Amino acid sequence: MGYLFDPANWEWVITGNNARFLVEGFLVNVQIALVSMVLALALGLTLALLSLSRIAPVRVGAKLWIDVFRNLPLIFLILYLALSLPESVRSFWVDNAPGFLPEAMRSQLVLAGVLGLVLYNSAVLAEIMRAGVLSLDRGQREAAAALGLSYSQQMRQVVLPQGLRRMVPATVSQLVTLTKDTTLVSIIAIQEAVRSGRILSQTAGNPFVGGDVTAPILQVMIFVGVLFIAFNLALSRLSRRLETRESRRTATRAPSTVEQPAAA
Amino acid sequence: MLDLLTDNLDAFVSGLWVTTRLVGASFVVALVLGTVVAALRVSPSVALARLGGVYVEIFRNIPLLVLLFIAFAGVRRGGIDITAWTAGILSLGVYTSAYVAEALRSGVAAVSRGQVEASLSLGFTFAQTLRRVVLPQAFQTVIQPLGSITIAMVKNSAIVGASLLALPDLLKEARIINSNTFQTTESFFWAAVGYLLLTVTITIVFRVLEARYAVRR
Repeated sequence: MGYLFDPANWEWVITGNNARFLVEGFLVNVQIALVSMVLALALGLTLALLSLSRIAPVRVGAKLWIDVFRNLPLIFLILYLALSLPESVRSFWVDNAPGFLPEAMRSQLVLAGVLGLVLYNSAVLAEIMRAGVLSLDRGQREAAAALGLSYSQQMRQVVLPQGLRRMVPATVSQLVTLTKDTTLVSIIAIQEAVRSGRILSQTAGNPFVGGDVTAPILQVMIFVGVLFIAFNLALSRLSRRLETRESRRTATRAPSTVEQPAAA
Repeated sequence: MLDLLTDNLDAFVSGLWVTTRLVGASFVVALVLGTVVAALRVSPSVALARLGGVYVEIFRNIPLLVLLFIAFAGVRRGGIDITAWTAGILSLGVYTSAYVAEALRSGVAAVSRGQVEASLSLGFTFAQTLRRVVLPQAFQTVIQPLGSITIAMVKNSAIVGASLLALPDLLKEARIINSNTFQTTESFFWAAVGYLLLTVTITIVFRVLEARYAVRR
């Protein structure tokens, strides 16, 4: 305990650019998280719709795809992609990455990370969305059909708005998991918060690199952890606020009987 | 495809065994800590309930990888000679315990109020009520979420193996085989089969448990 709270072990926070160095690393995590969230939600919805399709081969294929990708460890997918993405794909990305993306997203390293995050999380999110739609009373769909709505109208105007709204809490907790999982890309050498933390703890206090203030890895990683906790708490708060506003507007409540798939 | 497996069977099996032991030990830690924290969260003492809430919010929102760096490199730098196994089991166990606590809490909420009142009016203390009446029923309603949490643990165990060098789990064995043979797809394919074997087994075990003990409400 003495070691943990010893002011000498925390002095690095207010020395030089150390704290800023970590926060800049963390911003890379945030960028990767936001880009992956958008892509994973879009692909997840597509997969969910395919897995609910009336055409049997499409449905079976989509379910198989979902089951494979959500049952493999994410770090497994990221490492495999990092090792096996062909050179042509990498250089294509580096040459053609849209300019509006932040710089960290345009390197060839990040490709395997984002691809892994999207493949894994879209499968998990698809399963959540599918469960939401299936939990809806049959009568909703039948009533929509009886009113003469086409399949796509039934889906867009009746089934999806209700089914997806039920699954907002489960979806948000998966997005929190996604944000935490962005740290895994440090293992394929992308410099985000965790990697910055390791670099800082190795260089600070080293007479050859700079400074006489050491930055012990325990304290550095606690600092990084606090950044993630703050961000994720803000994310959950925000979604809860949106949910309350939404439920007041539509006068609906998420039924507590829906099985919320737990994930970690 | 198949010769890669037969040539490296020992490595794959030992990796699978390391992963299994890691998950098994962490599961015990997660279940014990998760139960304690869930008990804190439903306790009538506001301070204890808040303490449980803070615990859950911290460990559900911190990346496992960061926790591993704290528990291994950080603690060692602080002068405590923790082994990779202890650090790995504690990190994965503590991380997962927050999810277990949340699941159990929702299970406790599903136990009807009358049960608690009946037990209290029989003269049981709050702790006795929790231990003998509420928690046994809470466990029965959360078998399915506990199953998904355990499967998530199998997947998260690969993070433990990837960050702690001294823990040769299934994914690490596959990476070693890959660097010896350059057969990336084959090495990872057989590791994937190993992970699926584990998750399918866990699914079956929990399905049996559910069929026997689950209470449907």
